[in-house]
Amino acid sequence: MTSAVPTRHLLLVAAAFVLLAFLAPNGVLAQAQQYERPVEVAPQQETIGGGYVTPDVQRPRAREYWLEILDVVLLAVAMGFAVWLVLSRRNRKWALTLTVACLGYFGFYRQGCICPIGSIQNVALSIADPGYKIPMVVTAVFFMPLVVALFFGRAFCGGVCPLGAMQELVILKPVQVPRKLDDALGLLKYGYLGVAILLAVQPAIARDFVICRFDPFVSFFRREGFAHMMFIGAGFLVLGTVVGRPYCRYLCPYGGLLSWCSRLAKRGVTITPHKELDCGLCANACPYGAIEKNRAVRKECLYCARCYASCPCETNPQAAV
Amino acid sequence: MSDGLTRREVLIRVARGTVLVGFGSTAGFLIEKADGQVVWQVDASRCANSRLGEAGAEVCNLCTTECVVQQSAVRAVNNFRECGRCSICPAYFNIKSAVDEKGLPSEKACPRDAIERRAIGLVDPADPANNFYEYTIDEEKCDGCGICVRGCREPLGLGSIVLKVRHDRCVGCNRCAISIACPKTALARTPVTAALEPTLARQAAR
Repeated sequence: MTSAVPTRHLLLVAAAFVLLAFLAPNGVLAQAQQYERPVEVAPQQETIGGGYVTPDVQRPRAREYWLEILDVVLLAVAMGFAVWLVLSRRNRKWALTLTVACLGYFGFYRQGCICPIGSIQNVALSIADPGYKIPMVVTAVFFMPLVVALFFGRAFCGGVCPLGAMQELVILKPVQVPRKLDDALGLLKYGYLGVAILLAVQPAIARDFVICRFDPFVSFFRREGFAHMMFIGAGFLVLGTVVGRPYCRYLCPYGGLLSWCSRLAKRGVTITPHKELDCGLCANACPYGAIEKNRAVRKECLYCARCYASCPCETNPQAAV
Repeated sequence: MSDGLTRREVLIRVARGTVLVGFGSTAGFLIEKADGQVVWQVDASRCANSRLGEAGAEVCNLCTTECVVQQSAVRAVNNFRECGRCSICPAYFNIKSAVDEKGLPSEKACPRDAIERRAIGLVDPADPANNFYEYTIDEEKCDGCGICVRGCREPLGLGSIVLKVRHDRCVGCNRCAISIACPKTALARTPVTAALEPTLARQAAR
């Protein structure tokens, strides 16, 4: 019995060591076999010999520059078409076709990332921070729709913007938002614009591009993204069936800028006064509350041409005369 | 008014002209500043995984987890001119794993098995430890987790493997999600000519 006790002790100690060895983190064991770098300089092909040729480094090619220029050109062409189709041809069908085509290209093909809305932040930051440069393409994409709005109103919103197009296509039974509520909600976008600029011009550590982060539809364009953003996007689409283009009218910060510019517009969608036929069908057809007292309000008009499509004078000129 | 314009119309014209001049000059200022085409790129001298002397044992995998595209647009690139072509490559092997009968570590470091190892030059089959080996990273498999980059970092390796943005996969977010998360602000919009050059952690850190 007496001799068995130390044996048991020894066994216990051995077991404890084994246990410790298992419990110890990998690093402790690994330190036993030190790894040392075998070479100090990289051997070149002459040293390696055997006819070995050093392969070239894989270089990730950027998107061809002419393709980026093409984006800008397409944006200009699409806005030109929108102005022509809506103001001159007053043709809703073709204007809608253009919208769908732009949704396909700028939305689903370019994945929503040739975007004047988000470029507000880059432009603001580039003006504020001398070290921050933005590509010329971004400058062009930011200013072109604004210049068009100065002359013709918000052609970008109706004709080109993929975010607008998403909402344009889901409108089922729009309600007329009461004027006062509409005006009050419309102020939200200026608040959002202010917050977005304020957060964008912060020093790098605190900077935040909220417009991009809370872009409601970009996750649809990419067909991947955060679940909560998909949810918000879906929410906007559901709401959009009864309230025409809620994001554009109440939240889009770029819409705010366009709205300011379009107040100065030379031309825009106009409802021609008609002595006998002042029926107001156009005002009923407008899902955006952009027709007030049977006249189009340029800062609200989103270039959908529904008013023309609903107008008896337009659809049947003979009868109107 | 003599030319038939109302006061309001004149004011609007003046305002429009003023705004146009404002836009023009701002655009001119921004274009003057612009540097041609710029793309997102990782600066290896800032990247925690490739920077010499960076503290911390944990591999930073934010490039994999933060990118908005499914398989991250960032992946590891081996600059062959700087690769030591070691027999036991600390980026290819898990050098902490047990040594097998060939004298090589039994585990690979890459969780996606994206690195290919092949003997090059004058191969001596009798003495494989003295051969040179070429390590090529399969772009399609790599998701930029940074394990091999960390393995190759000096002083264990020569720092020839660095993380790079793949521009065919990168969607060019206005503000790159990885750049927001990166603790070293290693991602920046870089002029495209510089972004394509193979950057070296070693050279840049000097």
